[in-house]
Amino acid sequence: MRLTHITKRFGANVAVDDVSLAFAPGEIVGLVGENGAGKTTLMSIAAGELAADEGTIDERESVGIVHQHFLLVSEFTIAENLALAMWGRDPEAIIRDSGIELRDVHRRVAELSVGEKAKLELIKAVARHPRFLVLDEPTSVLAPAEAGELFAVMRALAAAGTTVVFISHKIPEVLEVATRVVVMRRGRIVADGSSMTAEELAWAMVERRQVERRSDSLVPQTSEISRTGESDLRLAFRLADNVAVHSGEILAIIGVAGNGQAEMAASLRDSLSGRVAHIPEDRARDGLIAEMTISENIALAEPRWQPRVAAQRAAALIERFDIRAQSPDQRAGSLSGGNQQKVILARELERQPEIIIAAEPSRGLDIEATRFVHDELRAAATRGAAILLITSDLDEAFALGDAIHVIYRGKLSARLTPAEAAEQAPRLMGGVNREIGA
Amino acid sequence: MTEQLLAAIPLAIVASTPLLLAVLGELVVERAGMINLGIEGMMLTAAMTAVVAAQWTQSIALGFVAGIAGAAAIGAIFGLFAIRFAVDQIVTGTAIVLLAQGLTGVVYRQLQQSAIFLQPVPRFGTDVIVPLAWIAIPIVLALVLWRTRFGLRLRACGELPGAVTAVGASVPRHRWIALAIESVLTGIAGAYLALALSSGFAENMTSGRGFIALSIVIFGRWKFKGALLGTAVFGIAAAAQYAMQASGRGVPFHLLLAVPYVVTLLILCGIAGKVRAPESLGR
Amino acid sequence: MSGRTNERRFRFAIAIVAAAGAIIVLALCGIAFGRGPGELLSILASGSVGSSFALQGTLLKSVPLLLTGLSVALAFRAGVWNIGGEGQFLAGALGAFLGARYGMVAALAASVIAGAIWASIATAMRLWRNAPEVLTTILLNFIAIHLFGYAVNGPLQEASGKYPQSDAIPAAAMLPTLGDRELHAGALIALVVAIGVWFLLYRTAEGLRLRAMGFNPSAAKWAGVNVNAQLVRAMAISGAMAGLAGGIELLGVTHRLFERFAAGYGYAGIAVALLAQLHPLGTIASAFFFGALTTGAGELQRTAGISSMVATLAQAIVILAMIVFTRRSKASS
Repeated sequence: MRLTHITKRFGANVAVDDVSLAFAPGEIVGLVGENGAGKTTLMSIAAGELAADEGTIDERESVGIVHQHFLLVSEFTIAENLALAMWGRDPEAIIRDSGIELRDVHRRVAELSVGEKAKLELIKAVARHPRFLVLDEPTSVLAPAEAGELFAVMRALAAAGTTVVFISHKIPEVLEVATRVVVMRRGRIVADGSSMTAEELAWAMVERRQVERRSDSLVPQTSEISRTGESDLRLAFRLADNVAVHSGEILAIIGVAGNGQAEMAASLRDSLSGRVAHIPEDRARDGLIAEMTISENIALAEPRWQPRVAAQRAAALIERFDIRAQSPDQRAGSLSGGNQQKVILARELERQPEIIIAAEPSRGLDIEATRFVHDELRAAATRGAAILLITSDLDEAFALGDAIHVIYRGKLSARLTPAEAAEQAPRLMGGVNREIGA
Repeated sequence: MTEQLLAAIPLAIVASTPLLLAVLGELVVERAGMINLGIEGMMLTAAMTAVVAAQWTQSIALGFVAGIAGAAAIGAIFGLFAIRFAVDQIVTGTAIVLLAQGLTGVVYRQLQQSAIFLQPVPRFGTDVIVPLAWIAIPIVLALVLWRTRFGLRLRACGELPGAVTAVGASVPRHRWIALAIESVLTGIAGAYLALALSSGFAENMTSGRGFIALSIVIFGRWKFKGALLGTAVFGIAAAAQYAMQASGRGVPFHLLLAVPYVVTLLILCGIAGKVRAPESLGR
Repeated sequence: MSGRTNERRFRFAIAIVAAAGAIIVLALCGIAFGRGPGELLSILASGSVGSSFALQGTLLKSVPLLLTGLSVALAFRAGVWNIGGEGQFLAGALGAFLGARYGMVAALAASVIAGAIWASIATAMRLWRNAPEVLTTILLNFIAIHLFGYAVNGPLQEASGKYPQSDAIPAAAMLPTLGDRELHAGALIALVVAIGVWFLLYRTAEGLRLRAMGFNPSAAKWAGVNVNAQLVRAMAISGAMAGLAGGIELLGVTHRLFERFAAGYGYAGIAVALLAQLHPLGTIASAFFFGALTTGAGELQRTAGISSMVATLAQAIVILAMIVFTRRSKASS
């Protein structure tokens, strides 16, 4: 199969940007990249599930695709799910032919382990004998032994001439099974080769932008304090037994998305009390109430609300945070992404929080807006707020963080200085070093 | 006491036949992922069209056909809104009940002044509906839902519509067919109620049977065995109640009427055993 | 700003179209039965607003419709599917009856509390057992109807034991009439409640959060809104208003309880609220429209022999039209 100059846009967002890629039979291609890099979109186009805006696909073969989100009816049995996919074939025989082990077809899918569900999805795809098989993050829910079993199936299929594309952001696994690795970032292919090291892969995957370096700013280097002695700092809250966040510091959590960051932010939202500001990661869903006005959104958490007073306050904040809006009565949903983020910042920072949990605060923002967000966070830290910055943008973490922890599979590394992190992060983020702390 | 109860059973089976048909129809529809409150309106409309047709043509068979047509017409309106426009099913269902109550009320009053309503309602002959409803239809429906590809897909529509779309089948098409099945069954239910049990139409004569059917579907945990059992229990309890009332004993009638709803509430709360509705019910 | 004005005009236009649609269907009903549509419309108009007597009847019907409409509007605004107006209406009437011996104020307070409690059963089931309120409120309607039936056939039946109805409430508990007319003070209460709901929703922090929850509970949660507490209060306030409707109907109009007391006011509230597009002040106009329709339909039945059920038919048409229209306008924006 050969993809030539494929481009796909969702609104103003370019998901896949002029990608050309050719696949040979018998290859196992590891397709890696951050969330939103365009991997799944590209493969959906290859499978014919999505239409490309531009570009051509030549020599398309029978394509099977196993999605990250299972399309299994949990109330049905294994046999019923197979019957739904292909009526009239003996479920036992389908499983036997696939070479994947899955016992007792009369069990309900709801009773299966996630690993078994993943196998069932794979069986469904393999049973159609595709010449081109796409597996979207198949190992994210598998135990190591199950992953090994999956790799054996992939190798057997490849040996029989099938092209297998394995979408993942787990570098060790990709290196283990893939005969060729393709790295995507922001809709483009940034690396393609058959002999890359784990460090090179991790470094190619993550977002890197030119952001204002710490040394360029006028804010004093508080990281000095954190090294001179932790007893001088006031503890704000603990993230884990040996992970503390102190007043006046910015603690950055970095890692490849999907390693427990969202769960961490949600649990902090529910457990912390007092003057806590939250900047949610999923801005479209959790950030603002699109149907309500800017002024109303800003006032949401206030104990008292009077429209006129709130509008005056909102007008002042619009001025101060340089929000491009016609009036405080404008619908929040009609603002651009960057301006929406500024409204969230205005709301959250205006009440002088003692703790700030900021998840991906500058994702998708232009340079100017990013700089603004960073300045505000620094100013809040200078004022004495304890800031937890959860980000997958390494440069952002290095530019802002006084100290850094790497998160991998829900676990945090030891506390690193930005310099240490710059050196060790690629390895830790890729899960190369398994004995990381906490 | 026991004698009264035993004597009440055959009567109870016959009297709760329309209810059972409604339960079976609603079960199919809910398995396909829709919750149709409008079933009350479908049955009520069917009762009216069945009576009018039977009086006009003096044919019981044509009465039943007209009953099915009446239920289907109302069911089609529900489908138009719930499937085609994909608006809220509960609000749509509530509106459908009001629509049917309004329509039948207006038409009934109008026809009372016409000659058709002066015609006698033809006598209902041999009763094939009862064995059909209690034996044949549940078996056939169970076989269709659990032994055919169509049934498998229909149930998948109620659990994970995306899985149906993924195999290239149409979710709306399966839901329309489920609604058609419900229309036939509630059409027969309404016609039976009016022609066999009551020999005539009265305003609001279904008196909440559609809503009780909805409760029994939950009570029976969306299974045919549960549906039969639930309807039988309800029917016998109601019949026993009438018997006890006649003998001047027992729990006040109105309190007993509330029991099925209380039980359903408890089931919904998971108090009276585990319950699991179709995953995509109402969506 | 002009965008919002345009949108308001558009929403207003939708409501007018739906209401007009309902009237047109009624007129067409007339043609089907050999009556001219003009004739029917004139009977409808004269029977509802054509005379001071007719107007009073319309206003009397509008009072419970306004309150149940507000009950639904507030709940739907907060994203809470309270379909239980009918049951809460009955609970309120029952509460008012029991409180009536302690005077009018006690009776009204009892109706408010009873309605709120009855609605809160559904909230409790939602929070503790995750039972969907849309189903539990409907079931609670039927339980209320049968409990009510038991009450007027049993413990609360009139002393003479003749009919399935209660004795009349003490005169001291009855709502005073306005001037020498039939219209009672409940009309003023309902108007005050409508303005109160508007104030609550659009002028208080509580209302801000209720609306936020209705639009996007997830974002509201991230902004620090306690959505569970908000749900509890939304349901209780909604139930309280439906309960008050039942109480006022008892204290101002019927003065006694009887079977079929709710007479569909709870379900009609859905039509009232949807036509008003869930706006509390719009609900005043919408309740008046349906009140007029109901009294006008009564006149149709008396003079033209057309069943008063046409009013129910019109409610159904308005609900169906409004859910499709508002869906369309949401999709297009």
